[in-house]
Amino acid sequence: MQRGLFVGPAAIALLAFTTLALPRLAATAPDPGAAPAPLATGDASARPWKRYTGWPTRDSARFNTLANPNVSPPAPKEPRKLTKPLAGDPAIGAKLVADRTRGGSCLACHVMGQAGNADMPGNVGPDLSEIGNAGLDDETLFNFVNDARVYNAESVMPPWGTNGLFNDAEIGHIVAFLKTLKSPAVFPTSLDDPSKRPPPVETRDNLDDMVNPGLWTIEKAQQLWSARGPNGSSCAGCHGQAAERFKTWAVGMPKWEPRLDKVLGIEEFVYRHAKATTGFDWLMQSDENTAMAVYLRFLANGQEMHVDVTSPEAKEAYERGRALTATKVGQLNFSCLDCHDPKRGGLKWIRGQWLGEQRGQLDHFPTWRTSQQAIWDIRKRFEWCNVAVWANELPPDAKEYGDLELYLASVNAGLKLNVPGIRH
Amino acid sequence: MSRISRRDAVLMGASVTLYLSVADGGAALATPPEAEAEIAKFTGGKPAQDGKIAIDLPEIAENGNTIPLAITVNLPMSADSYVSDILVVADGNPNPGIAKFHLTPLSGRAEVGTRIRLAATENVIVVAKTSDGKLYSDRKQVKVTIGGCGG
Amino acid sequence: MADKPRLKLPKEAKKGDIIEIKTLVQHPMETGLRKDASGNAIPRKIINKFSATFNGAPLFSAELEPAVAANPYLQFTAKVDQGGTFRFTWVDDDGTVTTAEETIAVT
Repeated sequence: MQRGLFVGPAAIALLAFTTLALPRLAATAPDPGAAPAPLATGDASARPWKRYTGWPTRDSARFNTLANPNVSPPAPKEPRKLTKPLAGDPAIGAKLVADRTRGGSCLACHVMGQAGNADMPGNVGPDLSEIGNAGLDDETLFNFVNDARVYNAESVMPPWGTNGLFNDAEIGHIVAFLKTLKSPAVFPTSLDDPSKRPPPVETRDNLDDMVNPGLWTIEKAQQLWSARGPNGSSCAGCHGQAAERFKTWAVGMPKWEPRLDKVLGIEEFVYRHAKATTGFDWLMQSDENTAMAVYLRFLANGQEMHVDVTSPEAKEAYERGRALTATKVGQLNFSCLDCHDPKRGGLKWIRGQWLGEQRGQLDHFPTWRTSQQAIWDIRKRFEWCNVAVWANELPPDAKEYGDLELYLASVNAGLKLNVPGIRH
Repeated sequence: MSRISRRDAVLMGASVTLYLSVADGGAALATPPEAEAEIAKFTGGKPAQDGKIAIDLPEIAENGNTIPLAITVNLPMSADSYVSDILVVADGNPNPGIAKFHLTPLSGRAEVGTRIRLAATENVIVVAKTSDGKLYSDRKQVKVTIGGCGG
Repeated sequence: MADKPRLKLPKEAKKGDIIEIKTLVQHPMETGLRKDASGNAIPRKIINKFSATFNGAPLFSAELEPAVAANPYLQFTAKVDQGGTFRFTWVDDDGTVTTAEETIAVT
């Protein structure tokens, strides 16, 4: 791993900057017009990238990632012919449709009569409670479960058979179970009914330290701000009066960084700039990095996000990011849009969890996650989405995540930063 | 989506195995013996009356890690008679106990708040005891969400 | 404990007011039921007792179990007839005792 080197083409300018410009900079705000901030090159997160402790350990190398979208098995061209009758057992099928170890289970997206006791099923897909009355033959049902893309290329349903989540015999059991579904679901409580369940509304005061444990980051960042690094310098040495100087800086991030030929987010910036100036080694996903990244946004709280996508390079990055939101990844074969576009799964329930749309997903990041008992930046959130759909995640400084973050920031333009947030 | 009453669902009797569990699915979960024992320790086995207690808990929680709980007991807090102890238990956690609060006339009001962990959809049971030995109890179910993505 | 306890209560009140007190300490409230990455049980370590006094007199106390959420938060009330000092005490399973004080002026 190479770290701590200045970016090549700008190195001379940066040397001049560090020797000549520093005293002047001490009295100026961070300013797009000023000399570019020194940045270290090399990797900004640990290499080789190792998945976080406690996350699922499966290796999904046989399936698409955001960096490598052409490895998953292709959709079959036509439905499979069944050569012998399915001999499925509906009782086994009833267990399989509720098996949360297989990508969340059928109930994650479908109401299915009394399957799983009708305990908070989702509604991304159609209600299957009466599918047994639909007169579908075994072969059709088999192919729907095996790979629904043979009937509908736009289907968001995971190709359960093609991608090896259920084998033929298991799909046979599921088909046998589906044929028993002949009556509408009867929900134990109205909260179990996805059409009646109220979408969550976040009402907690995320800036109250009695409420949001993520606020530890602010105190920590304030200490780090004046701490001297191995080079003998501190953030405060060049950037006095942080609260004033950084009142708007964060709203323009991430941004296209020509010296790195990629989109640079705040977390990656914190590593590269601190490394180049103070010598601190605040790799992405270290507590120090997260604390500083929260603080820099915290200082701009209340300001509207507006990233710059006007340069040709930024426009291209934005377009790449937009394309990534439609890129199918993982064994479950989901794209961002499959879950977060209201035309697909967005604003619906995946089991008991509400799928938000893309707008509104960034203004509160990094955010305290009560489910994880930790503060997560947006890159870690991207990584989790990848792993949750059974795709291998990328390192947090991957350029694909940069493009995606730029696109997401554009979609969120105009929303006011409110960091650190608190969410599920 | 069309809807049928629970009675109809039971009467229909189709797919019997699948309906068995729904017939009583909406009823409160049975209080496990451990929770009962914990309550009996607190009450000395004496019966508690309904009423007087307001339990503020969300109906539904996105996860069980940090669920806000506020309890108000609508009884006077005078030196002669005050709410002296409040027990909180849950009937579906690995251990039933959550907390025991001890109040005094200095408290002014019988109001406490905290944040609790619930392992699953279950009942939170609150029992309040007054300095002159009266007992009150109430309970509330919290629906703890099942995650979408699985493991 | 990672940092000093957080307290929220009014600095002043009128005689006879009933004030609201909020307290929070950073603590994982480790249940003893979890396992680490290599499958070993993580030992229980919680704040098991909290108490509050006003001018030395008992005001409020709590016995906590592992089902109290991490960073234990407690909210309760006090009727103040005179100015004075609240003293708060948290007791950890490992015997560590953390205290904090706050004064209130009463007019």
